[in-house]
Amino acid sequence: MSTVNEKITSEIREKVRELLASGHVAAFLGYTSGSVPMVMQPLIIRTPEDADRLEWNSFCVLNLANYLPALLKSFEPPRRPGDPPPEGPLPKVGVLATGCWSRNMVIQVQENQVDRDRVVVVGISSRGMVDRKKVLAAVGHRDVTAVYEYDHSLKVSGPGYEREINRWDVVRDNCRTCVHPDPVIFDHMIGDLKGERDVADRFRQVEDIEVLAPEDRWSWFSTEIASCIRCYACRNACPLCYCPTCFVDDSRPQWVGKSIDKADTAIFHILRAYHCAGRCTDCGSCESACPMGIKMRILTRKLQKDVLELYGAEAGMDMQSPPPLSTYKMDDPQDFILTESIKGEEK
Amino acid sequence: MSTPKGSVLVVGGGIAGVQAALDLADSGFYVHLVEKSAAIGGSMSQLDKTFPTNDCSACILSPKLVECGRHLNINLLTLSEVLSVDGEEGDFQVRVRQNPRYVDPEKCIACGSCAEKCPKKVPNEFDMGLGKRKAIYLRYPQAVPLKYAIDPDHCIYLKKPGRCGFCEKVCPADAINFKDQPKEHLLNVGSVILALGFKPFDPSGLDFTGYGNLKNVVTSMEFERLLSPSGPCQGHMERPSDHQEPKKIAWLQCVGSRDINRACHGYCSSVCCMYAIKQAVIAREHSSSGAVDATVFYMDMRTHGKGFEAYYDRAREEGIKFHRARVHTVSPAENDNLKVRYAGENGDIREDEFDLVVLSVGLATDPQVIKLANDLGIELDSDSFARTTCLRPVETSRNGVFVCGALAEPKDIPQSVMEASAAALEAERILYPSRWTETKEKHFPKERDVHAEPPRIGVFVCSCGINIAGVVDVQAVTDYAWKLPGVVFAQNNLFTCSQDTINQMAETIKRERLNRVVVASCTPRTHEPLFQETLREAGINKYLFEMANIRDQDSWVHQRQPEAATEKAKDLVRMAVAKVRGDDPLPYNTVPVIKSAMVIGSGVAGLTAALSLADQGFPVTLVERKDRLGGHAHKFFRTWQGQEMQPYLSELVSMVEASDLIDVHLGTTVQDVSGSVGQFTSILTDGTEVKHGVAIVAVGAESFKPREGRWNYLYGKNPNVHTLLELDQRFIKDDPGLKGLNQAVFIHCVGSRVPERPYCSRVCCTHAIDQALHLKEMNPDMDIFMLYRDIRTYGKREHLYQEARAKGIIFIRYDLENLPRVSEENGSMVVKVRDPIIDASVTLHPDLLILASAVRPRDDVGGLSKLFKCAMTGDGFLLEAHMKLRPVDFATDGVYLAGLCHYPKPVEETIAQAKAAASRAGLVLSRDAVPAESITAVVNLQKCTGCAVCARVCAYHAVNMDENSGKAQVDTGLCKGCGACVAGCRSDAITLKNLGNEQIMAAVEAAMEDF
Amino acid sequence: MNDISKSKGAWEPKIIAFLCNWCSYAGADLAGVSRYQYPPSIRIVRVPCSGRVSPNLILDALRSGADGVLVSGCHPGDCHYISGNYYARRRFALLKRFLEFVGVEPDRVNFTWISASEGEQFAQVATEVTERVRKLGPATHLLKEF
Repeated sequence: MSTVNEKITSEIREKVRELLASGHVAAFLGYTSGSVPMVMQPLIIRTPEDADRLEWNSFCVLNLANYLPALLKSFEPPRRPGDPPPEGPLPKVGVLATGCWSRNMVIQVQENQVDRDRVVVVGISSRGMVDRKKVLAAVGHRDVTAVYEYDHSLKVSGPGYEREINRWDVVRDNCRTCVHPDPVIFDHMIGDLKGERDVADRFRQVEDIEVLAPEDRWSWFSTEIASCIRCYACRNACPLCYCPTCFVDDSRPQWVGKSIDKADTAIFHILRAYHCAGRCTDCGSCESACPMGIKMRILTRKLQKDVLELYGAEAGMDMQSPPPLSTYKMDDPQDFILTESIKGEEK
Repeated sequence: MSTPKGSVLVVGGGIAGVQAALDLADSGFYVHLVEKSAAIGGSMSQLDKTFPTNDCSACILSPKLVECGRHLNINLLTLSEVLSVDGEEGDFQVRVRQNPRYVDPEKCIACGSCAEKCPKKVPNEFDMGLGKRKAIYLRYPQAVPLKYAIDPDHCIYLKKPGRCGFCEKVCPADAINFKDQPKEHLLNVGSVILALGFKPFDPSGLDFTGYGNLKNVVTSMEFERLLSPSGPCQGHMERPSDHQEPKKIAWLQCVGSRDINRACHGYCSSVCCMYAIKQAVIAREHSSSGAVDATVFYMDMRTHGKGFEAYYDRAREEGIKFHRARVHTVSPAENDNLKVRYAGENGDIREDEFDLVVLSVGLATDPQVIKLANDLGIELDSDSFARTTCLRPVETSRNGVFVCGALAEPKDIPQSVMEASAAALEAERILYPSRWTETKEKHFPKERDVHAEPPRIGVFVCSCGINIAGVVDVQAVTDYAWKLPGVVFAQNNLFTCSQDTINQMAETIKRERLNRVVVASCTPRTHEPLFQETLREAGINKYLFEMANIRDQDSWVHQRQPEAATEKAKDLVRMAVAKVRGDDPLPYNTVPVIKSAMVIGSGVAGLTAALSLADQGFPVTLVERKDRLGGHAHKFFRTWQGQEMQPYLSELVSMVEASDLIDVHLGTTVQDVSGSVGQFTSILTDGTEVKHGVAIVAVGAESFKPREGRWNYLYGKNPNVHTLLELDQRFIKDDPGLKGLNQAVFIHCVGSRVPERPYCSRVCCTHAIDQALHLKEMNPDMDIFMLYRDIRTYGKREHLYQEARAKGIIFIRYDLENLPRVSEENGSMVVKVRDPIIDASVTLHPDLLILASAVRPRDDVGGLSKLFKCAMTGDGFLLEAHMKLRPVDFATDGVYLAGLCHYPKPVEETIAQAKAAASRAGLVLSRDAVPAESITAVVNLQKCTGCAVCARVCAYHAVNMDENSGKAQVDTGLCKGCGACVAGCRSDAITLKNLGNEQIMAAVEAAMEDF
Repeated sequence: MNDISKSKGAWEPKIIAFLCNWCSYAGADLAGVSRYQYPPSIRIVRVPCSGRVSPNLILDALRSGADGVLVSGCHPGDCHYISGNYYARRRFALLKRFLEFVGVEPDRVNFTWISASEGEQFAQVATEVTERVRKLGPATHLLKEF
């Protein structure tokens, strides 16, 4: 009896083999296991034979949308600036997508980074991915040499120990609070759609901070980012951070200093998160990528909560809805406007 | 006629006069604008907010006034009146008397020291006498010209020379001139436009209102001032008796309107329903508790304009009460309150108490204007409005003299603005051979190329007499400026804006080879253009300039903190220097103009617009989707004044067909449009490619045909059920079948003012009543019933309603809860309706049932609006650039609209709007090139990701994505320089010239640091 | 260098005010014309539209040493550029909440609508914002130490 992930893996291989063999796609973007347990690597395959290298498990945490634009571009003939776009259809590319990744792809399409017609999305409803750091914590940060995954538990082993861990206990925070596990765009589906998840206290983590006094919030924030080495791994892992010149690297104008300065680090994190406002799908790549264990996801989570509260919008849920910061309603909330709140208080 | 004059006299400086003056001056004519008071702005400047957008009146009006005041080709004659107009069309001789201002406008700096010292307090007419001003005064804070004037009726010195004269002593500019004398100007003009406006009806004679005896009964104009932040109570809304905030307010409608008995004004004033609702809404906003109890007592609620019905609906939802009742008396109650006795619809008498009663007074013609009209030989009608006809809506009885605004009939601001442009068009039609013959043009020397030069900044610090120097240590600021990086010259001036200082500044720029200039003085909003012009005169680009506002935003607001104000002035100068250092010379962008127009749609609007342009020599491509010209007008019988449409239409069509300049494309629509103002290229479905400088969209609307559903009423099922236009067609054919009928029933609001079509169709009440009267003409014995919700015969159309009632036509009101029911019994129609007055059901047996069905927008308007990048309303009509002040322009420059695609409207308004659109189009067509914004967005392709946020947030469609590169590109012809794209861009890839992030940051950082 | 007065006893806040040219800047002018007095703490930066003000500029003001920031535009519906203030309203709503979330005091960053006829309101707002910032003391969280 195979596990859910084994079944998904074999279905993926079958579908991808078919897509490549028929010539429907020129390449497929999926995962394969790396040399280190619990670290899955993105993998691009170009032949049906390679389909068997694809794997699926609970450690597929790097957002594949991040690799999609470059992969598509690799199939375009080289062009100089001002040259017209190539004539005729360009090769298509296949990609795996869960709920959040597919929503990133919607945004990439809306932001002209990805041509929907050139992407064949193979959708998978996410069961939630596992946080490697949680697993390591659960085994007391001992070396891990092998992890075997059952449907509801993980068997973790290392030198001189073997431990079975409840899977849900080590699922990433973003997945535990995710309500949209199903892909919103797909051309083929592996397994069934699960529908929206019912999550109580979806924004609990954010709310726990919101209730603090301003000085305590500052103390939380400044402590959280204190260890930041400004390596920008969080930015690099994000499928939405694709500016050719990031504001942190810009010298004209210089928004932040290049050295590690408290204020500059804070402004980096504030602006990085703000740039994701209305776009972030809480895929968790940033946090997964951080070598210092900074929990910066909560920053984008806060913006996600506010965008939902204020504008009833969630990023990438619908190809037709304009991004929330590129549109407006006449009666958008404005209690924060001082002249309005003074009026309100008087009333 | 010999060559006409190239100048025009506009009488009246309200919004209509200002609009007419600007249209003419901008299209090649010299304008003399005569205004009786000390400043232009008219009644609109007195309003707090305007319906239905709740725009701040001053905010939207001020830029137009400033433009008018500075215009090289507008000769503003304030405190002036026209004495006589002799001569004829094309060549009038006008005598104008200009009364003394006693203040030299060349010298006055509007510092206000004079008014502060003036001991004489006078009731302020601008505040309707509710507040006081001094004998030396500004009409209002944003007055244009911003120059004080002495009121000779109250000035102590002028009455008894030697007695006072304080103003002369304190004036730092030596501007007071007690010896000022009246002047008489002789003007030779080709045409005259009268825009004399209205006077609010004076309710003193109406005892039942209590006005004049009861302090807390005010007129609507008085209430407008009570609401205004610049009014007598700074917008805190106080009632006159005790300066307490009123909690319960009543509005009494139709005071001095629709009242033949008491007020002798039979007409409807058109605007009062909407302004009363607006005032109720705004009063609730202003009140500290937000819970003003507002009640409007009315006869018919007339919310017949664009966006009005929705405004009314929202007001009701918000809890404003509307009582269909006529008020008998307003009498005093305790605590200065007021008791209002009124009769409900079914006749029962009720009473309620209010803190404040607002009389929604009507619009009437000022007796002085009546006299002037008589002197000028302009015919007035029985209501004392200028006589015009539906087919010639802005023409007076005297050739070459035109009228616009409330002088012709009570009307709202957009309608007045439309007519102003239409009147300008009529003048242009006569005078076009003399375009640009009398206008002045400014010439500047060639500009020095400063790109390679290091910054050489000059700083001019103004004392503004004592306005700045009395608080700020200007010498210290000047000394400080010398030390700032890049500054090579600094100087303190007594009045930097005085002519001699300006001349000297130009010399200094040349002598010191300055390439950047900072003036630390008053506000750039009034003075930037003047100083920028000085830069140009000195041979450098005008964008190498910044101002530091050390008066309005420093010395005047920190009068008791001289040291802090001086430090702040230094900061402001430092910020301006930091900003100006990064300024680049910018091009004075222009777009060459293809001098031809495309008009889409050939109904009355399209035909009128096409002819109006062709008459001035501009070629027109007229595109009509059907295979004949004329549109819906073919089905239209006559105007409400009785002019028949068919002969008029035939004449229009034959003139268009005969014109060499109009190229007609029948059975054709527009397929594709590219380009922008001055340079459009359109592809028609017949394959023609048309190059044109402007476009007028006049595609009309459709009549709603209730073939099924709730509003069906047997339409399409019984042959005797018609829409209004179907009955008109029987009238046109003089159908004998109409003569022998016994009974006709009209049902109003069929498909209008209902949830699926919430707007009022504006035309149907008048049209239906006119049809009923025509049926009566054909057969006086016919019984006619009108089933209506509110009768909206606005303006002079009210007389038709009175006539209909006099002739025995029966009006029965229904509401949405009790719709009329129509059925067929034994082959004949039965109409049942509940009469609310007798509270019983009435059964009728008509031979003819007329449905006053809605005017609905055409389905293909959406496609057209996309082609021209124009917006649409939620109702599906096209949306103009600004509901109040730009009623025929689209937000897209060079594209205009006219007729029913804008909103339902009768033929007289359609003609006026079409002429207005032609006038606005003429602003472009009369020039070889049109100016475009210089401070425009610019894309850094290296940084651009092509994400299109910039394009999404641009309200002008000025940014789009280049098909080849996939990156943003800016159409500088469309860009207005607002910077929404800049703030939206995450990549810093799009910026504004001279307002980039780096420059703003330089100013911000300069504010914080000391060098 | 950063405002020497901060090290002395008599600290006066410095507040950067981004005002749109068409309404709020005109409102500030009207405050002057009407001689409404307010504290000399505000440094006004004229921008074409509140829609021009990006979150970056607000953060830059704090980084450069502003103790408070005020951004003011035309009332909704009055925007000279049709819709700039509507976009601005969304950007600012999110930014304000977000800055508060990371511990920037709510009164540091303020947004208002002020029309060209609201001179008195401008003076009130300038006074109110100054008082709020004064209570908080100098801003240090996002201040860059040069």
